[in-house]
Amino acid sequence: MKLSVAGLLLIVLTVSWQVFGRYVLNQPPTWAESLALLMILYVTLLAAAVGVRDAGHIGMESLLVLVPDAVRIQVERLIHALVALFGAAMVWNGTLLGRSVMDYRISGLGLPEGLRYLPLVISGALIVLFSIEHILASLQGRDVEPAWH
Amino acid sequence: MALTILALTFFGFLVLGVPVAFAIALSSVCTILYEGLPLAVLFQQMMSGMNVFSFLAIPFFVFNGELMLHGGIADKIVQAAKNLVGHIRGGLGLSNVVACTLFGGIAGSPTADVSAMGSVMIPMMKREGYDADYAVNVTTHASLVGALMPTSHNMILYALAAGGAASIGSLILAGVVPALILTACNLGAAWLVARRRGYPALSRPAMDAVWRALGAAMPGLLVLLIILGGIISGVFTATESAAIAVVYSIVLTFFVYRTMRWSSFMEACAKAAKTTGVILLLIGASTMFQYLMGLYEVPDLAARFMSGLSEQPWVIFLWINLILFVLGTFMDMGSTILICTPIFLPIAQKFGMDPTQFGMVMLINCALGLNTPPVGTTQFVGCAIGGVTVGQVMRSIWPFYGALLLCLMLVTYVPAFSMTLPLMFKAG
Amino acid sequence: RDFRAADTQVPDYPTVEGLRHMGKLVEERTQGRLKLKIFANGALGNERDTLEQLKLGGLDLVRTSLAPLNNIVPESIIPSLPFIFRDERHMHTVLDGAIGDEILAAMARQGLVGLAWYDDGARSIYAKKPIKRLADLKGVKLRVQQSDMFVAMTEALGASPTPLPYGEVYTALTTGIIDAAENSVLSYETSRHFEVAKVYSLTEHTLLPSVVVFSKLVWDRLSEADRTIVRQAAKDSALLVRKLAAERQAKAREAVQAKGVTMVPVADKAEFVKAMAPVYARFAATSELRSLVQRIQATK
Ligand code: NA
Ligand code: NA
Repeated sequence: MKLSVAGLLLIVLTVSWQVFGRYVLNQPPTWAESLALLMILYVTLLAAAVGVRDAGHIGMESLLVLVPDAVRIQVERLIHALVALFGAAMVWNGTLLGRSVMDYRISGLGLPEGLRYLPLVISGALIVLFSIEHILASLQGRDVEPAWH
Repeated sequence: MALTILALTFFGFLVLGVPVAFAIALSSVCTILYEGLPLAVLFQQMMSGMNVFSFLAIPFFVFNGELMLHGGIADKIVQAAKNLVGHIRGGLGLSNVVACTLFGGIAGSPTADVSAMGSVMIPMMKREGYDADYAVNVTTHASLVGALMPTSHNMILYALAAGGAASIGSLILAGVVPALILTACNLGAAWLVARRRGYPALSRPAMDAVWRALGAAMPGLLVLLIILGGIISGVFTATESAAIAVVYSIVLTFFVYRTMRWSSFMEACAKAAKTTGVILLLIGASTMFQYLMGLYEVPDLAARFMSGLSEQPWVIFLWINLILFVLGTFMDMGSTILICTPIFLPIAQKFGMDPTQFGMVMLINCALGLNTPPVGTTQFVGCAIGGVTVGQVMRSIWPFYGALLLCLMLVTYVPAFSMTLPLMFKAG
Repeated sequence: RDFRAADTQVPDYPTVEGLRHMGKLVEERTQGRLKLKIFANGALGNERDTLEQLKLGGLDLVRTSLAPLNNIVPESIIPSLPFIFRDERHMHTVLDGAIGDEILAAMARQGLVGLAWYDDGARSIYAKKPIKRLADLKGVKLRVQQSDMFVAMTEALGASPTPLPYGEVYTALTTGIIDAAENSVLSYETSRHFEVAKVYSLTEHTLLPSVVVFSKLVWDRLSEADRTIVRQAAKDSALLVRKLAAERQAKAREAVQAKGVTMVPVADKAEFVKAMAPVYARFAATSELRSLVQRIQATK
C-alpha cells in the first residue's frame, strides 16, 4: 500500500514535470507519458489487491440479507473462492502475456514490454493470498482487519 | 447463446454479492471459455483498458477530492454559503445546496461531497429545527451536481467509454451550464419545501462578513478556475490540469490554510490510491465486457432493436433515458457509464445527438440512480449521517426528483444547454 | 469457417473496404467454405492488442499500420523510414516485388503471417504557417505518435517532438500547446484539424504503408490450397485499396482546399532527405537492414 501511495505521488510529479518541461525548458520530455502509464498499472493493481483484502470493491448485497446467517457465510466463502480463482487466472495469463512480449521494448522508455504485465501477476498472487486469508478467517469465525481505512 | 451466458452469469454473480468488477470479469471469463477463445485475450484487454493516458486524470481528480476532504476546506465553504443565501426562507437548506455544489465542484465526486458536506450541514440543520429527511434530501441532491463539475472523474470515465468520440475538454466545458441549471432546480425545490413546511430564515449578515467568508473560501474554489482556465486557454491538457490541481491542493492545504496534518495527508493518499485501484479495476474489467460486446456486435443489435421501437428521435431518447435510469438504480455510476456508453452512444448519435451532449444525459441519469434504491450510494451515506431510513427519505423526495428530472429533460431535448460552451471554445 | 478480421478504422475507410473485398474473394474462391467477418472501429482492441491476439490465436486477421510492428519485427521499420520511397510508384514496385515479400516473410518469426500491403496515404506536416525549408521547423513543437522512430525523425528535422493523445491534438493546435502535427490528408480532413492549422505542407515524409497480417497458429492448420487462396485474395484486395485510397485522398484534398486550406510544396526535398542520416543510422543499424535500404534505393 505504501508502495502504491509513493507511486501515485510519483505519477503526479511525472506529469507535472511534463508541463514544466514544455513551458520552462521548452523541451517536453518524451518519456514522461510512457513512464506515467507504466506506473499507473502498478499503483492500480496493487491498490486493487488491497481492495480485496479490505473488502473495498463496490458490490451489492441486497439478496444476502434475506437468507439465514449460515447460508450467507457459505455464500461469502464461495465468493472469496471465486475471487481467488480470478486472481489465479491473473497470475497465469499475466505470465503468458508477459513472456510473449518480453523481447519487445516500450517506446520512449526502452524497458521490456513484459514489465507491463508484471503487475498483473503480482496483483493476482496477492488477490489469491488475501482471498484465502478471508476464507481461513471465516472458518475460524474471525474478521479480517482492514490494513487501511 | 454466448450473450445469454454473459448476462446470466453477470447478474448471478451480482446477486450473490460478488463485487461488480469481479462479477464482470468472471462472467466474461465464463463466456470466453464457452466461445473457446484464449483466456489471455481478456486479460490483455483488461490491461490495455487500464493503460490510457487520459485516464491519469481519474486518479488525479480522486486524489484532489481526498485532499480537499481531509484538508478542512469544507468548513470554509459552508461559511461562505451561509453568508450568501442564509437570509432567504429555509436559509440553511439553501446554504446547503450552494455549499454542496461548490464543494462538489472542487471535489468532483458526489460521494465525497455528501460525506464532507453532510457531516457538517445535516447535524446543523437538525439542530436548527429542520426535519432530518429534508436535510438529507437537500444534501444528497445538491451533491449530485459534483458529477457534472470540472473535477468529475466520472466525466473522464465517460470520455474513455465513448472511445474518443467526445474530448475531455469539451465535456468539462459542456458540464458547466447543466450544473448551473441543476443547482437552480435544486434551489427551487429546497425553497418550495421550506416554504410549505415553514422553515425559518437566518438573519442577514453584514456585507463585510460576506466578503470575508468568500475570501476565505476563494483559494479552495480556485481549483475550479485552474482546471477550466487551463483547458480554455490551452495552457494544459485536461490530464495535465488535473495533475496541477493536485499539486495546488497539496500546497494550499499544507502551506496556505495550514489545515493539513501529516497523518491526514497519508490517509488522503491511501484513500486516493485505493479508490483509484477500485475504479481502474472496474475499467479494466469493463474493457473485457466491451471486447465481448464488440465480438458479438451488441451495439449493432441494440441499435436495430431500438430503431424498431420508433423512428422519432424524441421517443428513442426517452427510451434511452428510461433504460439508463433503471440500470442506474441498481448499479453504481462508474459501472453504468462503462457498460452502457458503448451500447447507447452509437444509437443516440444515429438519431442526431452529439456525443458530448449524450455524456451529460448519461451523467445526470447516473446521478439520479445514486439517490435511488436499491443501490444508492449517496443516499446511503446521507441517511447514515442524518440517522433516518431510506424509506423516510423516499416519502419526501419527490420535489427533488422533480428538479432532477426537469434538468434531465432540458439537457436531453435542448442541445444548446450542453453544447454552447464547447462550441464557443472549440474544445475538440 | 468464419475468420475474424480486425481494423481500427471506420467501416467505410479504404482499408476496411479492402478487407471486405478480400472476404468476398475468399468466399467466392472456396465456394463459401471460408469467410471473413470484419470488426471495424477497433471493436476488438487497438492495433497493438489485436497483433498480440493474432499470436495467441484469439483472432485470425488484422490490418495494422507498421508502427506497432516496429518493436516486434525489425524489418518492418524499413518501409516506415522517412523518405525511403521516392514516390508511390516506387513504393508499389518495391512492395509488390521480392523486397516486399521478404519483409512480410520476416514476420513469421513472431507468429505472424504477413499477407499483403495496403496503402494508407502519404503523411505530411500541417501547421498555422508553411513549412517550406528545414529551417522553418526549427524549434517547432510537432505532435508525434508515441513511437521511437517518429520522435527520432522529428529531432532530426530540428523540431521538438511532443507526444500527445490523438484526441487532444485539435485543442492543442488551437491553443499553441503544439505548433504542428503530421498525418495523411484524409485524417487531416476527418479529424477537422484543418480548421485550426490552415497550411498543409507537402513534406510527404513517409508513405507509411500498412499491412494485412494473419495468425500463424491458424495459418499452420490451413491446407496449402486454402493458404494460396487467402494470400492471393489479400494481394488482389490491395489493388482496390490502392484505388480507393487515391480517390479518397484526392477528395479530401479538394474538400480542405474548398474550406480555405493552402497546400504548400516544399522548396527542396533533398534537404529534408539529407537530414534523415542519423535516423537511418540508428534504425537501420544491422547489415541486413542496411542492405534492405540499399536495395530499395536501387530499385527503379
Ligand atoms: Na462518484
Ligand atoms: Na441507485
